Amino acid sequence: MFQKLVSTPSVKYEDFKDSLLKAMKDNGLDASLRNNVYHWMKTKKKEIGSPHDTFFRKAQIHWDKRIHKSLNSMCTELGINLAKIRTVSEREELAGKWGELSNYEVDIHKYRPVYAPKDFFEVLLNLKGPTTRNKGSPKWEFAQMPLKVKNLADLRCLYLELSRGEQILGVNSSLFSSRQYSALEAERMILGDKVLIKNYAPMAQEFLKKGCPNSLRAKIWTLILGAEVKPYHYGYFESLKDSVLQYDLMIDKLIIKDINLTASNDDQYFVFEDVLYQVLLCFSRDGEILKDLSTQPGFMQVVIKGKQSNTENNIIFPPSGVIPFHGFTMYAAPFCYLYDDPVQLYFVFRTFYIRYFHRLHRVCGNPQGVVSLCLQYEKMLQCFEPGLWHHFRKCQIHPVRVVIKWIMRAFSGHLPPEQLLNLWDLILAYDSLEIIPLLAVDILVFRKDNLLKVNTLQNIEAVLADLSSISVIPLLQMSLLKE
Amino acid sequence: MRVTFCTDLDKSVVVANCEKRGWIQVGPEDDWNIYWAGTQTCRSLFSVDSGYRMHDNQLINHFPNHYEISRKDLLVKNIKRYRRDLEKEGNMLAERGDSKYLHLDFIPVTFVLPADYNMFVEEYRKAPQSTWIMKPCGRSQGSGIFLINKLSKLKRWSRESKGPFQQQLTRESYVISKYIDNPLLIGGKKFDLRLYVLVTSFRPLKAYQFRMGFCRFCTVKYDSSVAELDNMYVHLTNVSVQKHGGEYNSLHGGKLSVQNLRLHLESTRGKQVTEKLFDQISWLIIHSLKAVAPVIATDRHCFECYGYDIIIDNKLKPWLIEVNASPSLTSTTANDRILKHKLMDNIFSIIVPPSGMPDVRWNKIPSQEALGDFQLLIDEDLIHLHEGEGSNYLKQNRWK
Repeated sequence: MFQKLVSTPSVKYEDFKDSLLKAMKDNGLDASLRNNVYHWMKTKKKEIGSPHDTFFRKAQIHWDKRIHKSLNSMCTELGINLAKIRTVSEREELAGKWGELSNYEVDIHKYRPVYAPKDFFEVLLNLKGPTTRNKGSPKWEFAQMPLKVKNLADLRCLYLELSRGEQILGVNSSLFSSRQYSALEAERMILGDKVLIKNYAPMAQEFLKKGCPNSLRAKIWTLILGAEVKPYHYGYFESLKDSVLQYDLMIDKLIIKDINLTASNDDQYFVFEDVLYQVLLCFSRDGEILKDLSTQPGFMQVVIKGKQSNTENNIIFPPSGVIPFHGFTMYAAPFCYLYDDPVQLYFVFRTFYIRYFHRLHRVCGNPQGVVSLCLQYEKMLQCFEPGLWHHFRKCQIHPVRVVIKWIMRAFSGHLPPEQLLNLWDLILAYDSLEIIPLLAVDILVFRKDNLLKVNTLQNIEAVLADLSSISVIPLLQMSLLKE
Repeated sequence: MRVTFCTDLDKSVVVANCEKRGWIQVGPEDDWNIYWAGTQTCRSLFSVDSGYRMHDNQLINHFPNHYEISRKDLLVKNIKRYRRDLEKEGNMLAERGDSKYLHLDFIPVTFVLPADYNMFVEEYRKAPQSTWIMKPCGRSQGSGIFLINKLSKLKRWSRESKGPFQQQLTRESYVISKYIDNPLLIGGKKFDLRLYVLVTSFRPLKAYQFRMGFCRFCTVKYDSSVAELDNMYVHLTNVSVQKHGGEYNSLHGGKLSVQNLRLHLESTRGKQVTEKLFDQISWLIIHSLKAVAPVIATDRHCFECYGYDIIIDNKLKPWLIEVNASPSLTSTTANDRILKHKLMDNIFSIIVPPSGMPDVRWNKIPSQEALGDFQLLIDEDLIHLHEGEGSNYLKQNRWK
């Protein structure tokens, strides 16, 4: 593209630098170049190392081994192979049903999810800290983790627009009069349109900090994530689909089972069921994910049924390196509200997952990882609502257990879609998952009175089951506003 | 003095809402203040022979001749008459373009059979490839509905239901409408919208639209091919039909909230077209009510909650399918129950004056708070009070 530009008459030899820069600007290539640099930097960003990386790495490898063992025993139990080639008729059936996979007949009732958030929680709980524990400290506190997490003051610095009390466009709660809200929305629309024309990702990220009108969100997210689809992306997605059609991986049943257990039964997402099958099955075949994941998941190498073990017949299982857990579908579901095109949806979701979500279900010491987020939540709860903290302890309920599903799913499936998208706006805008534990604490504090009245995990979960009345932005602002 | 209520339907959403207000349940023979009645009861109560006179502190949930809006043939007749009358007075609303009404084209081309049979055939011949939908005038829940794409099919149907053609049709009249074969699809499936509209008076018109509503989805992917013309699971969105399909899921019941529909449309299609769609929906509701207002018996004791069924086509144009005077109060899912509970709660707070005792002499202008999740569609009283200023008046004329 640049070579073509250089050879046009608008670029002059005598004034090469300036005329080239001008030509680039005129063609919108400068924004494109800047975006490319911005996105490249994001992906190449080095993992923040901590002195305890080895410890966490070992724990993750151990957990990966347990998962692989579990998969193998499930296969033995059910008498199936991890991987085999589909017969021609199987392939034809699947291809024919590709547009409505919810009607694809497959017997999944004997399959169970490999693990659920509560299982992962047990793993986290059993992480014996790399540093020795004092005898006196309680058996189950994340505080023993030698990880540095942000406190409220730090969060106020990070989430500056919220803590400064600036007007953020969220779903209109009765805080604004409808005229004020419409005015704010109109303002944000005009500004957002300008930002999209400029087509510059860091600017879009700044814009997103103060909330996004629903109609611009899809484009803003795509721009920030650098996930615009070009023609070759469609070809790539086709090749993933071919891989699904060609190989029958046992993981397909787990994916289908999870969609059936979650999105298919959810009155906010059931209409998107068919797209989710396509997206999540293709996701499992995508080897680029394994390459790009900074948490370097351990992966299995399996031999295709009936073949000799050699480089051609040994495949990485699954190619993406990601083994879904109960609720994994919910990482993808909210994107269905924003994108009609499954291919565009796929690449936005994939980028979001690689950038953020994968840290929510892997053991690592990264400040964005689930361990740090749980620790952050624990510390904040203990600090700002000690009454609730002690109440949980008295009832022998681990405070993290109460919110682990929210944290691992980034609230997907728990908050209604519009509120959830506001929350994910903030994740993207501030490039951090730390808003999640903060929201978790805020909700608990908000429902404190009812929580104090009950003392079993079941009843606590009942108090927290319905989040439809939660207004994310005002709630977060309440806690972040400087006194 | 405690408020008393009576109900023909043993529905928890009614009883629970009354009881939580401290109202006492009584029988129909007793002195009731609020009667949530079935249509049979209303027919007898309002009939001349019954001699029943309601006093000033009694309210009932139907208008005597609500069938003017709830019977498919009468609704169409009233709308057609309304449009012609506006046209005769030279009103801009009835402006035509391309032989269609520009602003009042919200019902598909419809004819009543057997009366309009010849007109129907004339229209049919203009586009012989199109599909038409036959609906019995007085039935509900999708009963007796079928699609035809050939005139011969209609003749065959009349032959098959024993008796000569004319005789059959006079026994039960039908409406035949141009089938909307390009419905908006989500996830490849057809859906319709159920919205609730409360009317507390027709002359002056006072109507309120409930903010919460839902889309009812078919369980099977939409297929307009001839082969699937008889597959009711593809075409009819009634829950009573879809419930029996193999794919029916009782957890979500095929119901998606209108809020979520709006979010999806705004996110994928843009704010302007979505807003226009919802404005057009409110517009068609208002005009359908104005169309029947002249013929509805004004009775200050009456209020009515209508269930509006609307289909959106793939150009984002809304079409009025029908109006139900007794929308189902049965809940199919947990969320459904919550919605219907709120609906009843808000209906009661709107129809009961601030004093807490039903009173027909009240001016029927509820406070903003009393509206709850209802929003004011039109109140002709307020328009007359604030000549031309009222926002509802503006809303009527806003989009052109």
